[in-house]
Amino acid sequence: MALISQADQDKLREAFNEMTSPVRLLFFTQTLGCETCPQTRQILDELPPLSDKISIEEVNLVLEGDKAKQYGIDRVPAIALVSEEKDSRIRFLGTPAGYEFISLIQAILLVGGRPPGLTQENRKRLAAVNKPLTMQVFTTPT
Amino acid sequence: MAFVSPNITAYAVEATEYPDLARKYHVTGVPKTVVAADSAEVEILGALPQDAFIEQALSALSASEPQSR
Repeated sequence: MALISQADQDKLREAFNEMTSPVRLLFFTQTLGCETCPQTRQILDELPPLSDKISIEEVNLVLEGDKAKQYGIDRVPAIALVSEEKDSRIRFLGTPAGYEFISLIQAILLVGGRPPGLTQENRKRLAAVNKPLTMQVFTTPT
Repeated sequence: MAFVSPNITAYAVEATEYPDLARKYHVTGVPKTVVAADSAEVEILGALPQDAFIEQALSALSASEPQSR
């Protein structure tokens, strides 16, 4: 049974229609010892049928450690969003359920070409950042 | 923010699945954002308006500037 209701699928399909460029979701997983990986995979698998611009690529943390390292991932489940030409540097650690699912959809739309919601002034301030900065936003599903 | 700046990486962390990270940063309420530069960390509690959020987030950078002594 689908995790996303028919009504939500229709809404998502419409939202994804606005996407102008493809988005690849790198799904970092491992075979053993990851209770929430199958659920995450199940959620992600429901997205590509809603848009031909969305694809999933599974990366095994154990077998493809170098690739995981390249994306700064050391735990699973995790998702990295990449566009055709570049890494968006947007990551999701843990299952994207509940409100996190909405954030994931927003991130997909952003990477897929929707203009960022930042003011021109703030974009300038951020463009001036010349040293690595990481932001971890802690959330819960409810 | 990560999308517009090549130096910024953003992680959405599910706190209940990563209790070790949540403990490390003393997450007792959500949303909580931990912004880390070289040697400085700034914590932002709750959701803030865009200007205020960016103001606080970028303060991690100035805080990690080498101090003259």
